[in-house]
Amino acid sequence: MLLNVSGQLAPIDSKRHITHQFRLDKPAAAIQIRFAYGPKLLEDDGQAKELIMISIGSYIAPEQQSPVREGWRRYLPLKNLLTLSIDDPDGYRGACHRHDAEQNLFLSEQEASDGLLSGKLALGEWSVTISVHSVVTEHCSYELSIWTEEADTA
Amino acid sequence: MRWLASELHTHTFHSDGRQTLRKLASGAAKLGFDCIALTDHNTMSGLGDSELIERETGVVIIPGMEWTTFYGHMVTIGLQDFVDWRKTGQSEIHEGISMVHGRGGLAGMAHPFRIGSPVCTGCYWEYEIKDWNDLDYIEVWSGTFASVKPENRRAFALWTDRLNAGIRIAATSGRDWHEQANTDEPLSVTYLGLDDEPGTISQKAVRALAQGRVSVTVGPLVTMEAEAAGALYGIGESVTVQNGADLIQLHVKIDFSVRQTLWELPKQDFTLKITGISGTLAQCAAGFADQLYGFSIPAYGLIWARAELWGVVKGVRTMVAFTNAIYFEPVATE
Repeated sequence: MLLNVSGQLAPIDSKRHITHQFRLDKPAAAIQIRFAYGPKLLEDDGQAKELIMISIGSYIAPEQQSPVREGWRRYLPLKNLLTLSIDDPDGYRGACHRHDAEQNLFLSEQEASDGLLSGKLALGEWSVTISVHSVVTEHCSYELSIWTEEADTA
Repeated sequence: MRWLASELHTHTFHSDGRQTLRKLASGAAKLGFDCIALTDHNTMSGLGDSELIERETGVVIIPGMEWTTFYGHMVTIGLQDFVDWRKTGQSEIHEGISMVHGRGGLAGMAHPFRIGSPVCTGCYWEYEIKDWNDLDYIEVWSGTFASVKPENRRAFALWTDRLNAGIRIAATSGRDWHEQANTDEPLSVTYLGLDDEPGTISQKAVRALAQGRVSVTVGPLVTMEAEAAGALYGIGESVTVQNGADLIQLHVKIDFSVRQTLWELPKQDFTLKITGISGTLAQCAAGFADQLYGFSIPAYGLIWARAELWGVVKGVRTMVAFTNAIYFEPVATE
């Protein structure tokens, strides 16, 4: 295992990047990544309504606010959104900007999961950045594990 | 001039789209688009097959990426290389834009007034802009049946406001196209006017956007030329006005033959307007047939002008098409 971390986030962590580094010391055929976080949804409609009303107040033109407030339910459910991006020792290896709360990703020389770039798995310092776009629940926990598949030495 | 029917804001499985690039490009071809920009969120990994898919579908694919950040979504197109979207703080967008420019790309505000976090994370533009000349374009029509949406009217008004402030900035549409789904709503098309200079069609399309040779519509293509002192100037160009007492001749052409059968509007008399800093400068009725319209506009006080076509779309009186601006500047005096 190259990395196995977990973390606890709260709404105050929104709009932060959290970077975890790991070293690739031995040639590998593939790097596997499992990322999961939860809860995904803010289930409490009362809390959601409060946040939606704040958004409407901030982002909708004053003369439009009243009909948009009436229809606040169209914005349900509010979601936590954490996305991953990956850097190898030489630079960016892509991002997986999507809503799945569990993602199983891989990188290899020939292929990679959608969003990531295939290519040489260079030895050295790698990093995974968790971009905390939004945490709307009181707590949101995540787990991140990274491991390699051995290079075929036969 | 060839006007390239383009869709400049699209997504695939490489971010949160629900389509492959092949499906996206063939869907675009069926809708009469000549060109798309692939603008997946924070990654360019979807472009791996783009040359093959261009050949298969005949659709030109401009490389791009949508910066999907905490403070705004910024569409970047025309660059081959990745520019890091993660390091730019809320007051540092100009550093980000100059990195995009440094790699040959253009930067535009995506849907600047869409409701923001946490409803749609980062969707509302909150980056501090210190110099509007740095931004290349504003996506003023986002989504389908764009002209009637309040958030797009705000974006359109922002664009007009910037033009009034003397900024030269282009305006585009973008469907923010995530999946192949049928819709009855009118689709916007951004037409890019290709020059005769060297380069691939993709490069020419990017250059057209950089130079403001852009016209947006849900139906007929509206183009405009200004005639001053015997010379003709196209959309995006700048006319030097010798004398404030001069009259500028504007020639507006409406072409109904574009993407024939792929859009539908009720037969009607449209209103063709010329707008500028003081609002509507001139207007006339326009029929449902290809035609040229001429306007004489006093040069005095004119800093920009665009053509707008208004009509009834799905029962709503709204804007059908608009050109980007032609600019005017008085000749420098001693």
